Amino acid sequence: MSAQKKKAFQIEAFKHRVVVDPKYAEKTWKILEHAIHEIYNHNASGLSFEELYRNAYNMVLHKFGEKLYSGLVTTMTSHLKEISNSIEAAQGGLFLDELNRKWAEHNKALQMIRDILMYMDRTFIPNTHKTPVHELGLNLWRDVIIHSHAIQSRLQAILLENVRRERSGEVIDRGLMRSITKMLMDLGPSVYQDDFEKHFLEVSADFYRLESQEFIESCDCGEYLKKAERRLNEEIERVSHYLDTRSEVKITNVVETEMIESHIHRLVQMENSGLINMIVDEKYEDLGRMYCLFRRVSNGLVLIRDVMTSYIRDTGKQLLTDPERLKDPVDFVQHLLDLKDKYDKIITSAFRNDKTFQNALNSSFEYFINLNSRSPEFISLFVDDKLRKGLRGVTEEDVELLLDKVMMLFRYLQEKDVFEKYYKQHLAKRLLSGKSVSDDAERSLIVKLKTECGYQFTSKLEGMFTDMKTSQDTMQGFHASHGSDIGDGPMLSVQVLTTGSWPTQPITTCNLPAEILGICEKFRNYYLGTHTGRRLSWQTNMGTADLKATFGKGQKHELNVSTYQMCVLMLFNDADRLSYKEIEQVTEIPTSDLKRCLQSLACVKGKNVLRKEPMSKDIVDTDTFLFNDKYTSKFFKVKIGTVAAQRESEPENQETRQRVEEDRKPQIEAAIVRIMKARRVLDHNNIVAEVTKQLQSRFLPNPVVIKKRIESLIEREFLERDKGDRKLYRYLA
Amino acid sequence: MKRKDTVKLISADEMEFVIDKDAAMVSQTIRNMLTSPGGFAETELGEVTFPEISAVILEKICQYFYWALQYSRGKETEFHIEPELTLELMMAANYLHT
Repeated sequence: MSAQKKKAFQIEAFKHRVVVDPKYAEKTWKILEHAIHEIYNHNASGLSFEELYRNAYNMVLHKFGEKLYSGLVTTMTSHLKEISNSIEAAQGGLFLDELNRKWAEHNKALQMIRDILMYMDRTFIPNTHKTPVHELGLNLWRDVIIHSHAIQSRLQAILLENVRRERSGEVIDRGLMRSITKMLMDLGPSVYQDDFEKHFLEVSADFYRLESQEFIESCDCGEYLKKAERRLNEEIERVSHYLDTRSEVKITNVVETEMIESHIHRLVQMENSGLINMIVDEKYEDLGRMYCLFRRVSNGLVLIRDVMTSYIRDTGKQLLTDPERLKDPVDFVQHLLDLKDKYDKIITSAFRNDKTFQNALNSSFEYFINLNSRSPEFISLFVDDKLRKGLRGVTEEDVELLLDKVMMLFRYLQEKDVFEKYYKQHLAKRLLSGKSVSDDAERSLIVKLKTECGYQFTSKLEGMFTDMKTSQDTMQGFHASHGSDIGDGPMLSVQVLTTGSWPTQPITTCNLPAEILGICEKFRNYYLGTHTGRRLSWQTNMGTADLKATFGKGQKHELNVSTYQMCVLMLFNDADRLSYKEIEQVTEIPTSDLKRCLQSLACVKGKNVLRKEPMSKDIVDTDTFLFNDKYTSKFFKVKIGTVAAQRESEPENQETRQRVEEDRKPQIEAAIVRIMKARRVLDHNNIVAEVTKQLQSRFLPNPVVIKKRIESLIEREFLERDKGDRKLYRYLA
Repeated sequence: MKRKDTVKLISADEMEFVIDKDAAMVSQTIRNMLTSPGGFAETELGEVTFPEISAVILEKICQYFYWALQYSRGKETEFHIEPELTLELMMAANYLHT
């Protein structure tokens, strides 16, 4: 049985081999050539795939692959030449159309041919390292048509012409453009790049250069930016519609370079519409646009930042040196806050909260706030004003917001200890006169300061609050135990202050009237009874009194006066007329204070419960004072001469400065000793650097002052100079 | 009887085999034939002639198609080939690119 089968095999094989002769190859090839012709002429429907496939298969199988391949090349080339001619013949606008159509047809034909010749593709070609059919087809197309001289230049010209037309606003056939570019891309990336992209970029660069020149002459900054943005978006759209995506980056670069980068300085500094004007006029949209566009260009943002910083510094400096502004500190600080708000808004809305801009803003503010040495005082006054009356009726959130803003300004200060001093003074006055609008607000601010600067900063301030609370309790106790004793006598309310926490005041002499003395003694005994070992002294320069006064026609008024003024007025209970000298003698109030208090009692319109002879503005030793029977006022309660926190006069300012300097000395010394104890040996420059670093949260120490302190420490034998090196210091235990 | 997704394979001795298109597509050659963009006769009529493949071989090939589909779906069975058919089967397979 197997023999029979073998025979069957043999016969079949033999049958095949018989057919192999040169003619066979020629015949087969003819069939295939004919088929290819038909395919190109769109006549493929009559053919049998299987037959053609089989023919190709046989040719390759019988080692006629070479013939097949070269035949294929020749046939295709001749066809393509025909096609090329027909394309060239096409006129004007139809050129692209024709090209596109023929390309589509070619592709189709190519695929069919490839399918038929699949076997050759699979076996013959890898073995001989020839290009596969498909690729071959593309290459031939490229060589014969695209790179044919006439067609190449024409194609380029038309494509670029189309782009130019679209840029001027005409509508072109985008689909067609898309197919053509796709064709170029299919032919190989280098074809696309060399034949089209390169020239496209060049032409675009020229185009935009011209256009930007035109625009910048005729438009202002905002307009120009709008136009630039529009062009940029256009190009991106164009790429998405009919260009290769990799071109996007390249063309946007071109636009950016030509339209933005080359004119960047001019844009920013443009008269009446440049960056500064935009900031001043709060043109958020324009600023936002500028930000986005400049972000694409290297150094674009840096430029904006620099210009903005120098402008802020200039405005700030102006504000700080303007004498008009400096007259009203509250107004001044409000202006600062408004300025900060404005720039914050610009950064959030137009510059997308860019951190670098935020930093630039902070450093500028820090710079110019510290230009004026009175800034700490002003900020403290601002807070004082707000806490006295400005925060009345404001919601809790708004209070918090305002305090946070103040804290922001506080952070910019370099001389925080000056601020502390002023704040203490103002706080003392607020607490003692009971003028604070909201206790919560006060405390909240203290907490914020504590978070910012540490416990030490606020310990004394907190001490003041504690004293007030303790005093309240003490008073309650006092009234509870002595309430019955007082009866008709004057009502006393005492605040007991711990000397260390409150700003130091010189103790002044003052003789209290008899009526008051009695109850004061009672209180003193009561207090010392519960707290032994303490010393109490009356601070007569800080107290207030409420007096009930009856005038000539029986009008009763309640007068709110300072303690000094009370002493003076009580004298008039016994006499109608007193000379200055007499008053001075009895009350023993210091001269300047006495003069001030008499001035407010006699010379101020509407509050002149005393009459002065002679009627002049100033008080001199020879004046006499009379009780003013004819005093009238619309209000029942009259307030006379309460001392509100004011901007210090020059000499006072000097005095405070001096005290601050004095306070700084021990702090510097303590820092030096700390550092030296740790390091043992250190040279001069390093000490200065370390001290500055340690103290910078409070103030900026002057290197000269540091040097002086070092020398003082050497004298007191805390440090010694190294014998060999004069700049080296050593710690002495 | 002729559903849309079948093809007819005709052998040298005019035996007709009707199989699903999916099965036929196992062969790359047939797949190309049927999906070629050109308007070849095969696509139109839905039948392919193989003047050089005998019926016996063609039958075995159709069986192979179905077995291949099964195998790809996870059913790992054996495909038995009679030794006499081997040579012709291999040649046909080469031709059909299977």
